[in-house]
Amino acid sequence: MAQNMFLRMHNVSKTFPGVKALKNIDLEVEYGEIHALIGENGAGKSTLIKILSGVYQPDEGAEIIIDGVVQKTITPLDSLKRGIAVIYQDFSLFPNLSVAENIAMVSRVEKRKKIVNWRETNQIARSALDKLGLRIPLSKTLSELSVAKQQLVAIARALVNDAKLIVMDEPTSALSRGEVESLFSIIRNLKEQGISILFISHKLDELFAISDRFSILRDGKYVGTFGEDELDDDRLISLMVGRKIEYKIFEKRTLVDPIFEVRNLSKAGNFKDISFTLHRGEILGITGLVGAGRSELAQAIFGLNPSDSGELILEGKRLQVNAPEQAVQHGISYIPENRLTEGLILKKTMSDNICLTVLKQISSRHGLIEKAAQNKLVEKWIEEMHIRPNIPNMITSKLSGGNQQRVVLSKWLATDPKVLIVDEPTNGIDIGAKADIHQLLRDLSEQGMSIIVISSELPEILAIGDRVLVMRRGKIAATLDGKNLTQEEIMKEAL
Amino acid sequence: MNNIFSQIKRSKEMGILAILVVISIIISAFNSSFLTFGNLLDVVKSNIVLGIMSMGMLLVLLTGGIDVSIASVISAVTVIIGRFMVDYSSNIFLIFVVGVVAGSLMGLINGLLIAKLKIPPIVATLGTMSVIFGLVLYLTNGNWITGIPQNFIDFGRVTIGQFPVAGSDQIQGIPIQFLFLLFAIALTWFILKYTMIGRGIYAIGGNRDSAERIGMNSENITLFIYTYEGFLIGLAGVVHTSIMRQVDPNAFIGFEIQVIAAVVLGGASVLGGYGSVSGTIIGVSLFCIINNGLILMHIPTFWQKIVVGIVLITSISFDVIQKRMHDKKNIKVDIDESESSFKRLGVAEKSTSQA
Repeated sequence: MAQNMFLRMHNVSKTFPGVKALKNIDLEVEYGEIHALIGENGAGKSTLIKILSGVYQPDEGAEIIIDGVVQKTITPLDSLKRGIAVIYQDFSLFPNLSVAENIAMVSRVEKRKKIVNWRETNQIARSALDKLGLRIPLSKTLSELSVAKQQLVAIARALVNDAKLIVMDEPTSALSRGEVESLFSIIRNLKEQGISILFISHKLDELFAISDRFSILRDGKYVGTFGEDELDDDRLISLMVGRKIEYKIFEKRTLVDPIFEVRNLSKAGNFKDISFTLHRGEILGITGLVGAGRSELAQAIFGLNPSDSGELILEGKRLQVNAPEQAVQHGISYIPENRLTEGLILKKTMSDNICLTVLKQISSRHGLIEKAAQNKLVEKWIEEMHIRPNIPNMITSKLSGGNQQRVVLSKWLATDPKVLIVDEPTNGIDIGAKADIHQLLRDLSEQGMSIIVISSELPEILAIGDRVLVMRRGKIAATLDGKNLTQEEIMKEAL
Repeated sequence: MNNIFSQIKRSKEMGILAILVVISIIISAFNSSFLTFGNLLDVVKSNIVLGIMSMGMLLVLLTGGIDVSIASVISAVTVIIGRFMVDYSSNIFLIFVVGVVAGSLMGLINGLLIAKLKIPPIVATLGTMSVIFGLVLYLTNGNWITGIPQNFIDFGRVTIGQFPVAGSDQIQGIPIQFLFLLFAIALTWFILKYTMIGRGIYAIGGNRDSAERIGMNSENITLFIYTYEGFLIGLAGVVHTSIMRQVDPNAFIGFEIQVIAAVVLGGASVLGGYGSVSGTIIGVSLFCIINNGLILMHIPTFWQKIVVGIVLITSISFDVIQKRMHDKKNIKVDIDESESSFKRLGVAEKSTSQA
C-alpha cells in the first residue's frame, strides 16, 4: 500500500502563538490520484498546504514522505524540486508577459540563466501546452486571456517543473460551467499521466464529479479519508461540521415589526437578487462560505461598495446610499471584519477613536472640538460598554482584543444607529470575550436596535441569530428560523 | 496576416505613432520649415541627451519606480568632467570613463537606498536630488566652467556622412553624438529583451510577489536598474558637454520632468510592468516634435512647461483609469447563475461519470 503513495503526511501539527491550527493531521495521496481536501472555513486546509509547500514548518514530530523520500524539513525550493506545485488562487503569474514566458519563467530562473533563449522559451511552452492538449497563442499577453485560460497557463507552468502533485486551491471559483468541464478533462488527462492532484473546493457537485478520495478536516483535526463511494452530500456535511458549541444559546424571538428591507439588490461579480427584511429588535445572522458575497453585501448596504440595482427601504422610506456618510445619516452603521485595520486608529487614544463618528456633535459652532463635551461622551460609553481599563487617554493598541472590539462598537453606537451591521464581530478574540460580545449584541437588540451579524462561525450564528440567512455563490440560498436550527442544516444550504 | 494586423491595431505604440504622424502634419501645415532635413537634424541633435536618459528612466518606470534625481546627477556629471578636463586631462577616453563612473556611483547610491533600505523611490531620489544639487552649487558657486580643451571640442564637432540640405547649398552630416544615442538604445533593448535581468525587470513590474516567489532577486535587479540608469546619465553628461562646449551647472534644473513625461508619453506605465524601447523612442520623438512645433509656431516658452505638465498628467490618468476599469472587471464572487438545484446535479454528474 505504502508504495502507491506519492505523498504521506503523518502526525502533522502546527502551533501559532496562542492557537493550535493543526492537530495530528494525516494525509496520503496516491500516484495518479485526484484527492479532495475539504473542511469548513478555518478548518486548517490552507495551513496544511502551506506546510506542504514549505511556507510553514510543522511542529516537532511530523513525518512527511514525498515520493519515497523522508523529508526532515521542507523549504519552498525543496517542495518544488520534489515535484509539488501549488497553484494559488491568484496563479502567481505575470499579467504583462506573454504566455510562453509565463510558462518558461520558473525553469529559466532555476537553471540560473543569464541570457534569454527565446526559441527555447517557446519550445518549453509549446511542449507543456501540448501535454495538456491546449492551443493558446504563445505570444499573447497573459492579461488578455480569460481567467480560465490563465489558470491553464499556471497548470502548464507546473508541468514544466516536472510536477508530480499539483495542488489546486479553489480552482473553479472564477470559472463558468463549461470552463469547469474543460478543466476537469485536463485534470483527468493529467491523472492518466500519473500526476496526482490535490483539489481544494467547497463545491460538492464538482468534488463528487472529479475526486477519487476525500480527506476531511474539521477544526484543525483530521476526520478521515473516504472513497468516493463511501460518501454522499449528507454524510460529507455531517463529517465537516460539528464544532462544539461553547456559547450560551439565546432564546430565539419571533419579531414582526419590519424596520429595514432590502429588495432585489444586485451587483455584478458580487451578489445577485438579494431580498430580505429585518425586524425591529431582531438579530439576523448572515452566514455562508468565504467568497459567498456576505461582506460585499454588507458593504453595499453601507455604501462602501454601491450596488448596481435594487432598493433599500428603512422605516418605509427608500434610501439613496452611495457613500458611508449617507448610510450613517440614515441610521445604518457597519463594523468591518478586520477591526484592527479597518475599524480603529490604533495609535490614537480610546477617547479619540470613540468620538470619530460624532465629531459634529461635540464641536462648537466654529468647528472646534469642545473638550468637555468629548469627555462626557467618552465617559458615558466607557461606562455603558464596560471598557477596561477605563482610562480615556489609553492608546487603543494597548487594549485587549475584546476591549478594542468594545471601542469600535462604542464608536458606531455613538451615531445612534437603527440598523447595526457587524462583520465577524468575534474574530480573533478569546471565548470569554466572545460571550461578552454576544451578550452585548443581545442587550442592544432588546433595547430595540436591529442587528445583522455576519459570521463564518456556525456556533456563533446559532447562539445569537433569531433568524439565519445563508448565502451561496452570491445569492441567498435559504432563510432559516433560528429555533432548533443545526449546523448541518446551515452547511447543507451553504455548500 | 489578419493576426498581425489585429496585433498592430491593439498595440499602444502604434497609437502613439499615429498621433506623432498627425501632429507632424499639423505642424508642417503651419510652418513649412518643420519637415526639412535641417530642422529634423536640429531636433535630433538637441534631444540626444533626453533620448539617452529616457532609456534609463524606462527601466526605472518598468519596475514601478521613479527617479527625480536625474537632473541633479547629470549636472554633477557635467561639472565633474568639466573640472576634470580643465584641470587634469583632456584624454577623451578618460573623460568618458570619469563621467560614466561618476554617474553610475550616484545611481548606485539611489539603488542602495531603494533596494536595501526600502525607501520609496520618490522619496529616496528627492533626497539625493537635493544633496547633489547642493554639492554642485557648493563646488561651482553657480559659475560656468569654460575653457574646455580644444581636442574635446573638436571631438564634439565630428560628423558622419554628408547630406545635401534641400533648398540650400549647405551640406550636413550626422553628429557623432547620435552614435551614443544609438548605443544607449541598442544596449537597453538588448538588456530588456535578451537578459534575465531585463525579463526580471518586467516580471517584477508585473507581479513582484510572484517574481520573488519563483526565486528572482528583486533587490539585485533594483540595484542594477538605478546603477545602469546612472551609467547612461554619465554618458549623456559627456555627450551634452561635447555639444555645448561649456558647463552650466544650472542647465538641467527641471529636466527630470521632461524625461519622465517623454517616457510616459511613449506608453510606459508609472504603475510598472508596461513599456518598451520602441514605444519610448516614439514617445521621445513625439515629445520633441511638440516642443519644436511650439517654437516654430512662435508660441511663448512658458507654454512648453504647461504642455509638459498636461502631457504627463494625461498619460498617467489614462493608465490609472485603465487599471481601475480592469480591476472593476475582476470578479469577487462567483455568482451561481444556474437555476436548478446544484446538489441534485452533482449526484447526477457523479452517476454519469461512473457510467
